[in-house]
Amino acid sequence: MATEQDLQDFTTQVTCPDDFDDFWAVTLEMLSAISLKPVVSAEPLRSNDDVHVFNVTYLSLGGLEISAWYSLPAQGNGPFPAVINFPGYKSEPPVRRDWAKKGVAVLSVAVRGKLKSNSEFNPGYPGLLTSGLESKETYGYRGVISDCVRGVDFLRSRPEIDPGRIFACGTSQGGGLTLITSALRPEIKAGVSGYPFLCCYPESMAMFRSYPYDELACYARAYPDQEEQMLETLRYFDAVNFAPRIKCPMVVGIALEDEVCPPETSYAAYQALTGNKELWLFPNSGHGNAHEYPGQERAWLESQIELSAGGS
Amino acid sequence: MTTAANRFWRETEAVLAELPAGVRLHRDDFYSQPDWDVFQMRYTSADGFRLFAWLSVPHGDGPFPAVVRMPDYASVHDIVYTPMRERAVVMNPTFRGQRQSDQVLQAEFPGLLTEGIENPETYVMRRVFADALRGFDVLLAEEQAQVGEVAIIGTGLGGALALAVAARRESVKAVAANTPMALGNPASLAPGLAYPLAELDDYMRLYPDRKDAVKKNTADLDPLKTAAKITAPVLLSVGIYDTGSCPLAFGEKLAERIPDCDLRVYHGAGEGGGHEHAQIQLSWLSDKLGLG
Repeated sequence: MATEQDLQDFTTQVTCPDDFDDFWAVTLEMLSAISLKPVVSAEPLRSNDDVHVFNVTYLSLGGLEISAWYSLPAQGNGPFPAVINFPGYKSEPPVRRDWAKKGVAVLSVAVRGKLKSNSEFNPGYPGLLTSGLESKETYGYRGVISDCVRGVDFLRSRPEIDPGRIFACGTSQGGGLTLITSALRPEIKAGVSGYPFLCCYPESMAMFRSYPYDELACYARAYPDQEEQMLETLRYFDAVNFAPRIKCPMVVGIALEDEVCPPETSYAAYQALTGNKELWLFPNSGHGNAHEYPGQERAWLESQIELSAGGS
Repeated sequence: MTTAANRFWRETEAVLAELPAGVRLHRDDFYSQPDWDVFQMRYTSADGFRLFAWLSVPHGDGPFPAVVRMPDYASVHDIVYTPMRERAVVMNPTFRGQRQSDQVLQAEFPGLLTEGIENPETYVMRRVFADALRGFDVLLAEEQAQVGEVAIIGTGLGGALALAVAARRESVKAVAANTPMALGNPASLAPGLAYPLAELDDYMRLYPDRKDAVKKNTADLDPLKTAAKITAPVLLSVGIYDTGSCPLAFGEKLAERIPDCDLRVYHGAGEGGGHEHAQIQLSWLSDKLGLG
């Protein structure tokens, strides 16, 4: 188990590349050149008296079609506050009717490679973490992150959404993507990042033998002459390097018994945040299983949503 | 067990018995580790579906105790790390529709729980249970793995699959089931549940005339109907706030039916006992398998 002292003593070797902002500016520029082409289709099977559920598609980097579940309150026409929910590494995006029932629109994104978005990009699981590691331009996560950014753009394009009240959350990979997307899209007003993955790759792949990080260790073992390039690529996708660029309030939740995402590395992302931030530590919990987490996440986001009422 | 459930399991066994498993084993050089080899395993289950499993085998001379980790209700069943890999064979079998077992059927999540539910012949979840039996059987027959005593573990749907296989195979040494899915039990059909069980209510809301078919075609899978046949000791964990997989009252009934059951109740939801129970389970399994 990691202690709070372990977290504070930890120092990452990750540094930010000089052209980090340029690389992401180019990526966002590429995205802006692609028409969003949103399609919203009703999903009667998942809809009920309280919540209308839709399947959404939009175009993202490389022209790939990305899907998402879109849950809207059945009552009222909006504009609604919205939460964008980013998926874990293995899990499929959930249909979030719980928030929609309370008057909040929820977009649950199936980034490329997920079942609903894998017709043109399907590296598999395991597999995504090492897909295209040869360069920052080809790395699979460039597309995955773009898909999240485009999800925010989708919400901003919708008449039923209040563009000034968009919030983000996710756990594990979704936690990492919450940090990264919030840095790239300042339109996100606040976020909760639980057990964040995608932090401090060099240390994470060395500290544990669990997947997904162990995919990187396997890659380094299989291609020792490419390890240096792998680590160079990963600098552009490390949440620690995105964290200082986040301007909105952000919570980072860390389980001290986490054996998937080393707590020290998640803490490094928290430390790198320069805006309003809050740390939740769960001493007797492992990855994704702190009993208190879902309730705290819901309450904190609801408080932020309430605070934002009338202010947009 | 009801007559209908008996017939279902008998027919399932007969279908499997008629089909050769056709096991193919391929060492995965990329994911193999200095302390254990990782294999990709493929075999045939009911209806000729080719299924995939990850198999890890420790270095050294066997036989090794084995752990079969039944898949949860998810699109992926990957090479989850467990410290037991250093001392035990670990198999992660998939069911039809999951990644790498999806040549014929690509499962949707949510969606699989009601796929073909209108007819017992087409209801995919009945075959998912056949896939679990097949996975267990091919492991026992696999020479490469040099398998000794076998424990089965699983969470959610995986918990239900673990219990179902243990009820059919007396060679199972121990079972650790976390928040086993109540599919087939009337508790799974209540309105207001969370996913994945809520898929059943979604379906009945959209097709109210098929409610009886849903009840009938899931009923044979009710873990309560086979629980009394389990001879192995069972470590069972449930969460008091779980409404998506194993509602508390169902879990407690299940524990009563299992002859040798150690029930642990936690203040969790779908995560059950979380980290605390994971430690208990690891210690319990190590003890049952003689891993020290």
